[in-house]
Amino acid sequence: MIKKLLSSDFLKIKRKGFWFLTFLGPFGVVALQMVNYGVRKDYLLQQSDNDWDYYLLNVSTFTPLALVLGIVILTSFMASLENETNAWKQLISLPVSKMSVYLSKFTVLAFLLLISSFILMLFTLAYGVFLDLGEEISYFELFKFSFYPYFAGLPILALQLWIATVSQNQGIPITIGILGVIFTYSAFILPDWMIWKWPSLINEWNEPIINVLLGIGVGCLLYIVGMFDFTRRDVK
Amino acid sequence: MEYVVKTKGLTKNFGKEKPVTGLDMKIPKGEVYGFLGPNGAGKTTTIRMLLGLMKPTTGTIHIFQKDLRKERVNILKRVGSLVENPSYYPHLTAYENLEALRKILGVPKKKIYEVLEIVRLSDVANKKVKGFSLGMKQRLGIAASLLNNPELLILDEPTNGLDPSGIIEIRQLIKRLPAEYGMTILISSHLLSEIDQMATTVGIVTNGKMIFQDSIEVMRMLSQQKISLKVNNSEQAWRSLLAKGIKADYKDDTVLLSEHSNKKIAEAVRTLVQDGFSIYRVEEEKRSLEDIFLQMTRGGKEG
Amino acid sequence: MLSILQAEWYKLRKSKILFIIFVGPLIGLFLGLTSNLSIDVAINEWYLSLFSMNLTYALLFLPLITGILASIICRYEHQAGGWKQLLALPVTRGKVFIAKYVILMLIVLAIQLLYLGAVYVVGMIKGITDPFPLEIVWKSIFGGWVATFPLVALQLWMSILFKSFAAPFTVNVIFTLPSILAVNSERFGPYYPWAQPFSMMYIGGNTDDIFFVPWDQLLTVVGGSFVLFFLGGYLYFQRKSV
Repeated sequence: MIKKLLSSDFLKIKRKGFWFLTFLGPFGVVALQMVNYGVRKDYLLQQSDNDWDYYLLNVSTFTPLALVLGIVILTSFMASLENETNAWKQLISLPVSKMSVYLSKFTVLAFLLLISSFILMLFTLAYGVFLDLGEEISYFELFKFSFYPYFAGLPILALQLWIATVSQNQGIPITIGILGVIFTYSAFILPDWMIWKWPSLINEWNEPIINVLLGIGVGCLLYIVGMFDFTRRDVK
Repeated sequence: MEYVVKTKGLTKNFGKEKPVTGLDMKIPKGEVYGFLGPNGAGKTTTIRMLLGLMKPTTGTIHIFQKDLRKERVNILKRVGSLVENPSYYPHLTAYENLEALRKILGVPKKKIYEVLEIVRLSDVANKKVKGFSLGMKQRLGIAASLLNNPELLILDEPTNGLDPSGIIEIRQLIKRLPAEYGMTILISSHLLSEIDQMATTVGIVTNGKMIFQDSIEVMRMLSQQKISLKVNNSEQAWRSLLAKGIKADYKDDTVLLSEHSNKKIAEAVRTLVQDGFSIYRVEEEKRSLEDIFLQMTRGGKEG
Repeated sequence: MLSILQAEWYKLRKSKILFIIFVGPLIGLFLGLTSNLSIDVAINEWYLSLFSMNLTYALLFLPLITGILASIICRYEHQAGGWKQLLALPVTRGKVFIAKYVILMLIVLAIQLLYLGAVYVVGMIKGITDPFPLEIVWKSIFGGWVATFPLVALQLWMSILFKSFAAPFTVNVIFTLPSILAVNSERFGPYYPWAQPFSMMYIGGNTDDIFFVPWDQLLTVVGGSFVLFFLGGYLYFQRKSV
């Protein structure tokens, strides 16, 4: 059942800019560094001994912001797809369980964001090579800064999808999303338990993998809570 | 009798509002069930509950003799529906809209062309639905509801927004489906004339209550003309008619004859004259279906 | 004109707008209470508080929230054919556009004033005893407001253009994110319209002018982009088929 729903959902997101945004997010993050390094490359290269690591660090300052904004935008787009002509009622009248409808939406978005993370890795690598930052490419750091924020951000995806699907007025999820963006931007002062801190990979133990594991765990939890609330509600 | 849809004490509360209260609906197999009621009577809420879009506050729903709460997905495999305004994805073409549903339903692709042909949208299959007229969107909605060869078709105000020729087409389609495919159809409307032309069974709902549910023949019978007799002593005259085995009613100081063949009327008049009653007037009283409908729904409001 | 304004406000009242207006001061409180910036130089403590609060507020929150407000004021027109009903009334499209714009700017002003309240509350909670730098705060609050003029105009345009909330928001995000870099650059910062709320609220700026940025920058960057976006939206709305 879930396979059918997924292929239906992938058909529905055609021509709605989902794929464009999936590409735009990582491109934007790297493009900001293109501007940054384009304007003051010499200055930036003086800042550290390891130019690759410093470059990756620069890229990664925007990754959490772009990720959270991407989540807010994609979840809201996904909800308005069904909200616009009230297609929820048609979808839920089909022989599918409401749980699998929700799972399918989540899976599509999680997949798009994963693709985004992958594209981010490619772009980061490509521009890094172009900058000629030295032979020693830290592939593990590259992988970490591209994919860890994604897993650490899963709770935010689960939360935003939940709010977006149950809100008639998409102003609510987007406003809450802006709050989340502010939190993410202020990650360094947030307590460790706040989910918006996690994509920045900061924690008091200095172990980014903790944020990844927390992200997957709490992401599942929030996903389940959102799904049950979605199935409980009447369809308008 | 085998009922395709059977609800018992169906009730829905939204806080203080009670759009549906204690509704018992019975739809026999192969019927076109006209679900009739004024705007806001609770038709759409009932239909939403039948499709599992809303959960009843109390009461049970059985479709194909299965409990909707337990076997929603299995039931919906055999149901097609169109609820209120048609739902569609404006950025997709008519074909793609149906394809998005077909993927979930798992029916063969040729079915899409088939249903587009039925609602005469084949020419615009590859146009985005964004530019469709209301009638075209409505027809696309009907096409979508037919996609899975449903055994039960639920159509909420399906002729909304259609032009007269569209209405006639849909009407003929609805009449044809039970005969050709053995479908059972639930069709809601606030227009009696529409139900009168399609339905074989009628359920009338007002203020969330079912106030009439029977075959259309029974409903038509109610509308048949009655002969009223004004007599000097109506009550006695009525009793004397009953004593002679002539069916009659007594109401508002008038005697009403249920039979209206010339012969029976002549017989009743002769009997009364022989018994010494003075007959002032013999009148034919016509009641249209509209009158009955209005009378019933008004009664519902008082109660 | 007044009646259109009243009608716009009437429609807006029940759009969860209050929730959104109060997010501003809440963000202010959050930013103010979590910051613990301290330097050893003896300056008015209010400056420290303002400094840390204004950064995130003006850089991200203010530009982003204008987009939400603009989308909300167009939401009910996109739904169920509100535009055609509204424009079939004896009103000109120009007046409708201006009325929506004026309401938006008043709401942004309200958010700024509530933010000022949040600044004061933060100071009270932290027990700041230094005199309240009224003049500088006003400059910052009104400066930030003036800087949103072009941003609101563009967002109103985008919100009339797109039905969904997410699309104008995306446009907003694409323009707002680069300000984080732009404000660090002396060369580009002054010319980037989305960086202006930050520049105008940044209390370290030149205090001789009315605002924290020089007049010529205000007129060319803020004024110029305002004229561009406002006319763009205005003319688009004139020709939009509803």
